[in-house]
Amino acid sequence: MPENHTHDHTHAAPTRALRLGVAGPVGVGKSTILATLCRELADELSMAVVTNDIYTDEDARYLRSAGVLPVERIHAVETGACPHTAIRDDVTPNLLAVEDLEDRFAPLDLVVVESGGDNLTATFSPALVDAQIFVLDVAGGGDVARKGGPGIERADLLVVNKTDLAPYVGVDAEQMVADATSARDGRPVLALSQRDPESVSRLGDWAREVLRTFRAGQHVAQDPGPMAPHTHADGTTHAHA
Amino acid sequence: MTAGQAGLGALLLADGRLPVGGLVYSAGLEPGLADGMTPADVPRYLRARLRTAGLVDAATAVLAHRAAMPDARPDAGFGLDDVQEALAARTPSAPLRDAQAVLGRGLARLAERLRPDHPATVALRGLGRAPLRPVALGCAAAALGVDEEATARASLYDDAQAVASAALKLSPGDPADAAGWVLAAEPDVAALVRSAVAVRHPDDLPATTAPQAEGWSLTHQHRTRRIFVA
Repeated sequence: MPENHTHDHTHAAPTRALRLGVAGPVGVGKSTILATLCRELADELSMAVVTNDIYTDEDARYLRSAGVLPVERIHAVETGACPHTAIRDDVTPNLLAVEDLEDRFAPLDLVVVESGGDNLTATFSPALVDAQIFVLDVAGGGDVARKGGPGIERADLLVVNKTDLAPYVGVDAEQMVADATSARDGRPVLALSQRDPESVSRLGDWAREVLRTFRAGQHVAQDPGPMAPHTHADGTTHAHA
Repeated sequence: MTAGQAGLGALLLADGRLPVGGLVYSAGLEPGLADGMTPADVPRYLRARLRTAGLVDAATAVLAHRAAMPDARPDAGFGLDDVQEALAARTPSAPLRDAQAVLGRGLARLAERLRPDHPATVALRGLGRAPLRPVALGCAAAALGVDEEATARASLYDDAQAVASAALKLSPGDPADAAGWVLAAEPDVAALVRSAVAVRHPDDLPATTAPQAEGWSLTHQHRTRRIFVA
């Protein structure tokens, strides 16, 4: 499986579903974003979901009760208190769950994998997902986007969530998005609020566009990397592959 | 395959870092602790586990190893399907069979990536359904050139380490003590390896599968707060 390679030719169009990861710290709204994606896309795409709860099957139950997908299309994977490992170094249980859903509901267009809420360093391996969304929220602090990290800087999409709460938590949402944009070297940032239908439809449009390039064989999965680029005492700055 | 490669194969199969999804499994410890077993009981649980389900699994892995290598053992007189059925018949708990199937698929996936053309991998594929963990372990071991005895030992060691490492997450103490429980099991493991290798036919597979632990697994599957599948 080619990973992390750089080239500009077109791959043979893949026949399996697009696998999309959603990562980010606890409480930023990952499950809500999964429900939103299902609401936006399930009428036009055949979808399934894998959740990775750390200690409960709360996320799977939330999605089932939200009624956005048939319950049998939502599968919870235990992570043995290792949410980071389960999406990065031993993706086997998640990969088996994805493959099961693809077999059972073939042909699927899109499988969304939600990581267990972990810290800012947890990102998906390209062996598990083709593209990933990293989620922050304004309530977590306006400076988090500026602090950076592999997901913030190099996920395929960064969502700054709950922008409607910004006035109540003393955060300048526009500044937070601007900080994120400058940390991401041109990669997209989406300011999202469930109360702003236009932002919700932009999220759906982004997923449609990734699916289109994936099907055209033009999408190459990127690893955001395990660590943020950092500066050494001698003044050199670099990223660890 | 050289002896050196086989040596590394046995170490790989016994290594908790092997990417086969072992992180979801506590070898029954979380269900036991949730149902009233105390942290002080863990070393005794580990020993009981080896002598019951551990022996059944190790003997199953040995039989699968033989069934997967028909040319090496033309007198075996049974197939991989018989081995899988014999273990399933000795695992009355559906959630435990499901957990064993998830772990078995992880091992099968590894064998497919590393030794897709080996006769043992071909036999495993030919099973046509999710192999239970010891069945997949026996085939993966054969595909990596690991002998029967080392396969049985790897099975028992993995079970003991699954308990010890899960204990560090569920009721943490000094991690060196947990390693000590595994090491203290050496005499038991040595005897159990001999018993496992001595089993000749699926009909003779031991059925010592701890009813208490089976019962715990049935309760565990309905818990909404858990970190391990079983």
